Amino acid sequence: MDFDPTPFNFAAAGINWLLIVGVCLGLMTVVSLLVMAGSRGTRGLTMWTDEVGLMASDLVSLSPRRIFALSQLTFREAIRRRALLVFVVFGILFMFAGWFLSASTLAPEFQVKVYVTFVLRAISWLILPVVLLLSCWGLPEDIKQRSLHTVVTKPARRLEIVLGRMFGFAFVGTIVLVVMAVVGGFWIKRQLPAVAQEQLTCRKPVFGYLAFKDREGNDAAKGINVGDIWEFHSYIEGATKARAIWTFINLDASVLDSDGNLRLENRFQAFRSHKGDMKRALYYQYVLVNPQTGLRVPIPLKTVNEFRGRTDIIPRKLGKVAEASPAAADEAETAAAYDLIDDLVSKEAVVDPETKNVIYPAGTMLVEVLCIDPGQYLGMARPDLFIRTPDLSFWVGYVKAVLGIEMMLILVVVLSVTASTFVKGPVATLLTFCLVIIGQTAREFMAKIVNNEEAGGGVFESIYRLVKHMNPTTDLPEGTATTVMRFVDSALVNLMWLVYNIIPDFSFFTRSLSYLSNGFDVNVATAVYPGLAITLGYFIPCVLLGYFCLRTRELEAK
Amino acid sequence: MNRFNSQQRKFLYLGGILLLLIPIISLGMPADSKGEAAGVIARQRQEYDLGESDLGKIDPSSAAMNLVLLGLRGVAANVLWVQAEEQKNHKDWAAMRATTESIIRLQPHYVKVWEYNGWNLAYNVSVEWDAVSDRYFWVKEGGKFLQEGVNRNRNSSDLLWHTGRIYGPKIGLSDEARFFRRFFRADPNPIYEGNVDPEFNPTDEDNYLVAKEWFTRANDIEGQGNRQTIMDRSIFRSYPARSQLDYASALQKYGFNEEYDRRAANTKLTEEQQAAMQLEVRDKLREQTRTAWEQGFKDWTQSYGQEEYTVDYRGDILRIRMEMTEEAIKDLAKTPTDYRKIADAVMAYQNMTNYRYWRTRALCEAEPDTAEAHWLLFAAVEEYRKQNFEKAHEHATRVMALLEEIFKKYPELEIEEDMVEDGITAVIIWQNFYRFNGERPPTDFPLKRIYDERATQLPEYERKFNRRFLPY
Repeated sequence: MDFDPTPFNFAAAGINWLLIVGVCLGLMTVVSLLVMAGSRGTRGLTMWTDEVGLMASDLVSLSPRRIFALSQLTFREAIRRRALLVFVVFGILFMFAGWFLSASTLAPEFQVKVYVTFVLRAISWLILPVVLLLSCWGLPEDIKQRSLHTVVTKPARRLEIVLGRMFGFAFVGTIVLVVMAVVGGFWIKRQLPAVAQEQLTCRKPVFGYLAFKDREGNDAAKGINVGDIWEFHSYIEGATKARAIWTFINLDASVLDSDGNLRLENRFQAFRSHKGDMKRALYYQYVLVNPQTGLRVPIPLKTVNEFRGRTDIIPRKLGKVAEASPAAADEAETAAAYDLIDDLVSKEAVVDPETKNVIYPAGTMLVEVLCIDPGQYLGMARPDLFIRTPDLSFWVGYVKAVLGIEMMLILVVVLSVTASTFVKGPVATLLTFCLVIIGQTAREFMAKIVNNEEAGGGVFESIYRLVKHMNPTTDLPEGTATTVMRFVDSALVNLMWLVYNIIPDFSFFTRSLSYLSNGFDVNVATAVYPGLAITLGYFIPCVLLGYFCLRTRELEAK
Repeated sequence: MNRFNSQQRKFLYLGGILLLLIPIISLGMPADSKGEAAGVIARQRQEYDLGESDLGKIDPSSAAMNLVLLGLRGVAANVLWVQAEEQKNHKDWAAMRATTESIIRLQPHYVKVWEYNGWNLAYNVSVEWDAVSDRYFWVKEGGKFLQEGVNRNRNSSDLLWHTGRIYGPKIGLSDEARFFRRFFRADPNPIYEGNVDPEFNPTDEDNYLVAKEWFTRANDIEGQGNRQTIMDRSIFRSYPARSQLDYASALQKYGFNEEYDRRAANTKLTEEQQAAMQLEVRDKLREQTRTAWEQGFKDWTQSYGQEEYTVDYRGDILRIRMEMTEEAIKDLAKTPTDYRKIADAVMAYQNMTNYRYWRTRALCEAEPDTAEAHWLLFAAVEEYRKQNFEKAHEHATRVMALLEEIFKKYPELEIEEDMVEDGITAVIIWQNFYRFNGERPPTDFPLKRIYDERATQLPEYERKFNRRFLPY
């Protein structure tokens, strides 16, 4: 699998948010104080204090009724501007999409991926530009047409105007999204070939934690890289002591299926260093281990079903076969002697006798994976083995994926409206568009620069290397020029740290799509809440910024 | 300050638009019903066969996509290429396949795009899968993709050649050849119920014969003046004949097992019935293989060998054929120096395509004695497998005698590894017969010289011999 559903660290994100918002607020306070004091002296400071006081009073005296009325106004205006014409494009797209997708000869599980990805991507790509344009041009047009004057002269606060705009545009976007999602859902159901229909499901996985042992049996952070550019999967060597060990915690009988069996599903990859036996896929073996008692129960050998995955039914009552032996493929199991839950799941925590730290909590079972074939390798990453509990309906995951788009839509509205409070329509459009594009595509690259992981240095060093035809790993000549260049670059990198943290990470919104297209349901804490947290995280400072800008904006200046 | 009022400005814009339309119309005006009075662009499009319908089958979705993107086709194509590469690195094959489809809709007449992605699917993606049936699926995807490329670019001899390569060497020469060849005639995908995939092998033929057709088409298109850009022309044009030779070679190597298994599939046979069927298949294959070699010899020497090439050999522009007798060279050369030059050029180009080896091999294999030797060896191995050592010894002795004569007649075939291996296999069976009876094999025997020359490689020949008895 190409995704790793790691839980979102809300505490760390919250601290980071406070830090960034704090830094920005601090900078704004200092700059505005300096400007006011510099231009008007002590009178300026008094004006500043009064203004802050008025803003604070505005904040606490918001009227939901007025906000609702302004939202309604925004909604009507958006409809008047023919926002719903997007449905025409949507309709045309879906009428002809079958031409591109229906002739696929791919395996059913892959077809589901293509169809689901197409529908959700098409929805988000159609809806985002529409709400972006509407939200960016709304306020500037009102100012230009002077229709905002009729609002600001009423007892409506400017904060309410900002909120009304945001809610109104978000509401329009939501209606469009809901209609598209419903139509898209029907379209998937109707268009997907019959053979692929049964793949429309949401696996509910229980993921474990992965550790490795190398070929000598020592603990290792990772397995071997067999030459893949993407180092997500690492490999264990066959017929050695190399192991991949998954730790599953909080296990009890509730993870078993209705027949009382444990369903272990894997997505192992195979790498052959020689042809071997081409008639069959590579063998692997599970060894279930109770970390408290040390009981090891090897399971009969299975063969890898590469890139498709395989569900292994492990019965609750287990016999035993030889461990790490090719003979286990044909060998009969001993009579059932072990109970999966009673004997293999630890009843008490395993504690380090020296440090007294808990190594394994109660309710833990280890699943060791071995590659049996000598000279061959099995590749895996953390999400490549999981316990498959009873599946959920496909539509559960679909709703979560649509919620991800909804969060993204709201964030785009928030950013657009905020931008439109301090610049004109075209500039606001460009600014928000850049934020969305960079947030979707360039954050990974920016992270590398900010964390000094990108070879070749910062801007000036890179320019110097380009001009001098130096590759990124060659050492620069020591000297004053290099020192100055690096100093300037590091200052720019610090500035970029701020920019990096201000630009939203849009990848969180599309995670549910990635899970769904792979046939998974991931809990809301991992799939939905991160998007919600990010949207909220931007909503608060953006509303404040928008309010501040609109309040200080000269509305007569068109 | 604007000097014009709104109405004046509108008229001004209209005038500008009309002014710009004049050159556009005059340059791009389509031809009338007589094909005359066309604009410069339309005329050139016709002259260079650049119209959509001239290039190949028209795909409305592709044309629509390119129009919708206006001038951003290049940007979109770049983004898709980056995506496809990333998806490949992440082993996200379904997404990669879909992205590939999008790319070719943006760049439908860019032959290298078809070539690159066809290769990618048939070779790079295929090899990533562990199950041989999955690998075959991706080989087919690559082949079908290239065929679509041919439909869209009917004048590209390169694409036709690349399609032929998927059918020929990819299926017939890869590590998985013995599986792929069987899958070609009985697709492993259950939806085909054990028959061929009609999109990939509609005529249910051997992969090399299908490859031969594609290579022949490539030669036809190339012969009409559509230059190929892959390799030297003299090698490029050898492929149809080479495919015929490869077909004969594959029949010899895999033919019996493939044919027997096809006939015996889903039927329960008694031992006698099995033996009768084996005999029947053997007789059929013996003649079929010999005929295939005979056809190969004809294709190689009478078709490919008689084609004329204008070559630049050491600064001289010469016209040569692969098959040139001394008399033919003398007829062409005006001076002894010319004779030398032409003879050297013919020799050099023959070396480049291994021409003489294949000529001799085909000639030799088409002889009844050679066919007899191969099938007697096959019979010897079968008897050996059944532990009828006396019968096996009898067949092996005959094989050794026949091959001794063949090597005498065609000494250049002593470098032909398959044939040498056949000879040494016969010797091993012959020797083992004596050993099993507790006797020492006679010191003098046919093929002794070849056997002794390869003394150091005997363990490897023994290993290959033992592998013959592993179950399929």
